[in-house]
Amino acid sequence: MDASMISDLFGEVTPIIPAVIMIVGALLTPALYYGLKRRDVVTAAAMVVIIASMVVNAILLSDDYAGTYSGIFEYNAFSGLMMLLFQIVASLTLFVSVSSTETTILHYGAFNSLMIISAVGMMFVAMSTDLVGIFVGVEAVSISSYALVTMKRADPRAAEAGVKYVIIGGMSTALTIYGISMIYGALGTLEISELAARLGSEGYTWTFVIGLITMVAGYGFKIAAVPFHMWAPDVYEGASTPVSILLAAGSKKMGLVVFFKVFMVMFVGAKVVSGLDIEAVQYIFAILAAFSMTVGNIVAIAQSNIKRMLAYSSIAQAGYILIAMAVMTDYALTGAMFHMFTHVFMKGGAFLIVGALVCVGIGEKITDYNGLAKRAPFLAFAMLVFLFSLAGIPPLAGFTSKFVLFSGAIFDEGPGGVMTQWIWLAFIAILNSAISLYYYVRVVKAMFIEKPVKGAPAGSIRIPRTFMAAIVVCLVMVVVLGIYPDLILGPCKDAADALLGAYL
Amino acid sequence: MFVEYTWLVPLIPALCFAIVGFFGRRTPACGGYIAIVGAAASFVIACLVSYDFWTSDAYAGPGYVEEHIKWFSLGGHDVNIGYYVDSLSCLMMLFASFISTLIFIYSLGYMGDQGDKRRRYFAEVALFLTGMLGLAASSNMVEMFIFWEIMGLCSYLLIGFWGFDHPGGEDMADNAASAAKKAFLVTRAGDVCLMGGMFILYQAMGSLDYSVIFNQANLSAVDGDTLALASLLIFGGAIGKSAQFPLMDWLPDAMAGPTTVSALIHAATMVKAGVYLVARCLPLFCQNEEVLLFVAVIGGFTAFFAATMAMNNMNIKKVLAYSTLSQLGYMFLSLGAGGYLICLGIKDGNAELVAAGAVGYIAGCLHMANHAFFKALLFLCSGSVIHSCGTEDMRLMGGLGKKMPITSITMLIGCLSIAGFPFFSGFWSKDLVIETVFEAGETDPLGWVFMIVWFLAIVTAFMTAFYMFRLWFMTFRGEAGPNAEHAHGESPKSMTMPLMILSVFAFGFGFVLLTGFDGLLELVPSATGLWTVGNGAAEGVGHYMGELFTNPYTYLTIALVLLAIGLAYLMYCKRSVSPGIVSKDGKSWLYRAVANRWYMPEIYDQVSWKLGYGVARGVDFFDRDIIDGTVNGLSNAVVGGGESVSKMQDGNVHTYSTVVVAGIILLFAASLVLFFVFGGI
Repeated sequence: MDASMISDLFGEVTPIIPAVIMIVGALLTPALYYGLKRRDVVTAAAMVVIIASMVVNAILLSDDYAGTYSGIFEYNAFSGLMMLLFQIVASLTLFVSVSSTETTILHYGAFNSLMIISAVGMMFVAMSTDLVGIFVGVEAVSISSYALVTMKRADPRAAEAGVKYVIIGGMSTALTIYGISMIYGALGTLEISELAARLGSEGYTWTFVIGLITMVAGYGFKIAAVPFHMWAPDVYEGASTPVSILLAAGSKKMGLVVFFKVFMVMFVGAKVVSGLDIEAVQYIFAILAAFSMTVGNIVAIAQSNIKRMLAYSSIAQAGYILIAMAVMTDYALTGAMFHMFTHVFMKGGAFLIVGALVCVGIGEKITDYNGLAKRAPFLAFAMLVFLFSLAGIPPLAGFTSKFVLFSGAIFDEGPGGVMTQWIWLAFIAILNSAISLYYYVRVVKAMFIEKPVKGAPAGSIRIPRTFMAAIVVCLVMVVVLGIYPDLILGPCKDAADALLGAYL
Repeated sequence: MFVEYTWLVPLIPALCFAIVGFFGRRTPACGGYIAIVGAAASFVIACLVSYDFWTSDAYAGPGYVEEHIKWFSLGGHDVNIGYYVDSLSCLMMLFASFISTLIFIYSLGYMGDQGDKRRRYFAEVALFLTGMLGLAASSNMVEMFIFWEIMGLCSYLLIGFWGFDHPGGEDMADNAASAAKKAFLVTRAGDVCLMGGMFILYQAMGSLDYSVIFNQANLSAVDGDTLALASLLIFGGAIGKSAQFPLMDWLPDAMAGPTTVSALIHAATMVKAGVYLVARCLPLFCQNEEVLLFVAVIGGFTAFFAATMAMNNMNIKKVLAYSTLSQLGYMFLSLGAGGYLICLGIKDGNAELVAAGAVGYIAGCLHMANHAFFKALLFLCSGSVIHSCGTEDMRLMGGLGKKMPITSITMLIGCLSIAGFPFFSGFWSKDLVIETVFEAGETDPLGWVFMIVWFLAIVTAFMTAFYMFRLWFMTFRGEAGPNAEHAHGESPKSMTMPLMILSVFAFGFGFVLLTGFDGLLELVPSATGLWTVGNGAAEGVGHYMGELFTNPYTYLTIALVLLAIGLAYLMYCKRSVSPGIVSKDGKSWLYRAVANRWYMPEIYDQVSWKLGYGVARGVDFFDRDIIDGTVNGLSNAVVGGGESVSKMQDGNVHTYSTVVVAGIILLFAASLVLFFVFGGI
């Protein structure tokens, strides 16, 4: 099967067909659950839909398909790859939701539906060609995730997190739409492909700068970049673990996708086409990146709840990825996307283990993990691999992706070229990875070395099988991407070329 | 033809790791035999590879064999994975696999009573060996870094081996756990430098393959300051891994692991990786003489500084740990001084200086190999003693010579060798090191620095002989201490056999210097091509004999060594001179400072852990409370009554949103400044 068969079958809808398939699933699952009241059937149906969509997307992607749908949505190597990332996140989270004790039973159909809808929202963001499309996509994700966070009904923390998330999210929406309108006022277009040329001819204006800042702030929420990060630890902690994974691995990446396809394209284009000086903008992003990684890593040291720790480490990881926004080269963008993929598996894997252990009654405090290696040797080993990968220890995926990403801050156009001015950012990032090891090792030490608290149950732990399967998938990917990075690095390069190719 | 199979050398222990790790419980001795066979197989292949390489045309021709395949490509340049065989990597592979084989055999006896935990032990040591052999065989810096980190990870796991339940009780277990963490994190500080150095080098040269970056034509094309920065950062990695000043504090603590692990870390793997890195990158270092001066000074100072701490320690393993630090210092000193001479010689076109520098390189490599043998021997001997009397405190030992004749005699050989007693292996390399430093001291204009270092090196030689014989006399001679009376007697065959084999090498390995070792490991600089190791002209037997024994300073060193041994004999065997005279019965400030490791652990504790954690707590507090508090206060004043409503969710939400607004304002201000600076609006 190849792309031509798919396009014969679906005609002009082909560019958006992966998203359409998922929407069908979103409509199907509540009805199924209403009729059958069986969680496993609903999950099976949802998984079939997502995997079908993923297969279609993979075929399109591997055949270098490109096309547009009514001028609103565009499928190319970049949007295809990012959609694949969102699909992977959605499938991981939905697959484990069925056996998690944290997810709702009453509204399980709606839970599935909302999960899929937020994944579809992310996919629309990846495909949209104008700012309004992106805004709508982001809202679809936001609104469904507000509901998802609060669906952990038994836990008062979830309600609190939900309220916080709604208020902060509402604020970010307001800022975003304000920013978009200012940019429309300044540049007179909402088409992403035209922004660069307009900016080049108009130059910086007050209106534009205000619009830029408010938009960066609005989407900065989604990324949880410092200083827009404060909601993240509360919400990740309060939400059920599958939802935390969706937010940490999915929604955060969506914000980064917006940054890449709107801001990076706009500024690189304006620089190449009209010779606009974009250094000031690069410094804004460099400052955001440096603060995100430093604050994230330092505050993570002081956390005693593992979900909060992982949340702060996510903030730091977002900071690493933002390096690409400061450097604004093809090469750095490749590294950023590669790191986004590896981050899904390492952070997703770590969260999955936390979620699985919650299901068997082990708490979220780091001290609850004391002596875990004796009770669940495989889980402890997997956690060790995920955490060391996050810290960037070779030969795991985190090392390879950080290597590419950080080197992107040092080389302009590949090694041997001119040294960029962002080398200081790379050094901050390397230092930060060293700091991060400190709090990751604390968890490892708790699992392998500390003795369990007196009175804690002993005996081996059996986690739900879906969790086990998802963890194994993440584990395999973390090792494989570390040893054979070309698997994803190649498509990342194509995606970066698709996005910035016009200006190289 | 065997060279093509170099990749098997690290691969076999890796397979052993997998087999023992997964199926270890079902195999005899919980995988012990598999690990031994794997290490032995690696050694055999390393022998074949080395023999094949040294007799091949490639050795005479380019001086190296390199094969690689593309791993992944970055911005149009490939990162490769492959092997690079030259004399230096052969030497490393040979002694690492040989000594590891012996240590693994010894472990059969030493870890015999550990039951199922042996599976974990043997799996981890096999992976450790993989790290070292892979490091030696790597063809580029990225690949090397991967194995470098694997070793760091294994050292963490192995030092913390007793972390769960230490035979010596709960305190010891905690001790092991924190030592493991310290080792991992402190060496990470070095790794940060190394990674930074690698990036800069990659940026500057467009490749990290050894055959490209050590090519003088490519090196000359790069700005000297960039190379100096890269060299210093790479040396930072070596400082961390080889525990040089100021990142030295983890190694003595690492004694908390099993003694066999200490032997592995100190003799065959881990700390040798730093020395190997500097030896490997010396062509790069030789582009700037200041870098080499720095290397030499760090090495010389560490040699002296660590030796002082060994002088009055009562723990048999800790004395050996400090002696390792000190000996590693000698190796860096030798490489630094040798490189300095080569660098000056090339600058001035003085072939004699280059030749003298090459001797320094040879001495450094030879001392690395010699040290591997005698330090493995000393650690295994101390393990045998600990196994027998169940304590590490030398005050509780004494008079063990009669109960443990084999251990006693083999350890004596080790002590003579490390002390540099004439004709034992340590003598050859150490005296060559000291001689090289002296020659560097005769150059202008920075020779005086080397003269100071030379003086430190001579004093260190005296101290080394003293503390090693203090250790030996306290353990094996004199009256039996409380634990020695109940000692089990001589250790089993699987433990004594490796001791005897190692003692032969600890005595005799130095003689390879007289039989062509110098030609094999000579660093050959090139004006336009690749710097290679090996293929130099080997001096005859008479050359080094003549050079060493016509030099009056050699006799000075020998005299100091003999004096130190005599002093140790009087103090700790015959007990006619009381050590209390010197230390004022342990009350002198110097004695206390040394006993407290010059307060280094406290300084570390205060500076890094307390400060680091404090900052983290502070930032966390700031993030959550100060900003919250300020904003709360502000909003209290402004909003007043509305407060109670929004307080429903513990008052965080609206403060968060205020922070956001503040963040936007800040961001806006920052961008105004930036736009103002760069122009734009």
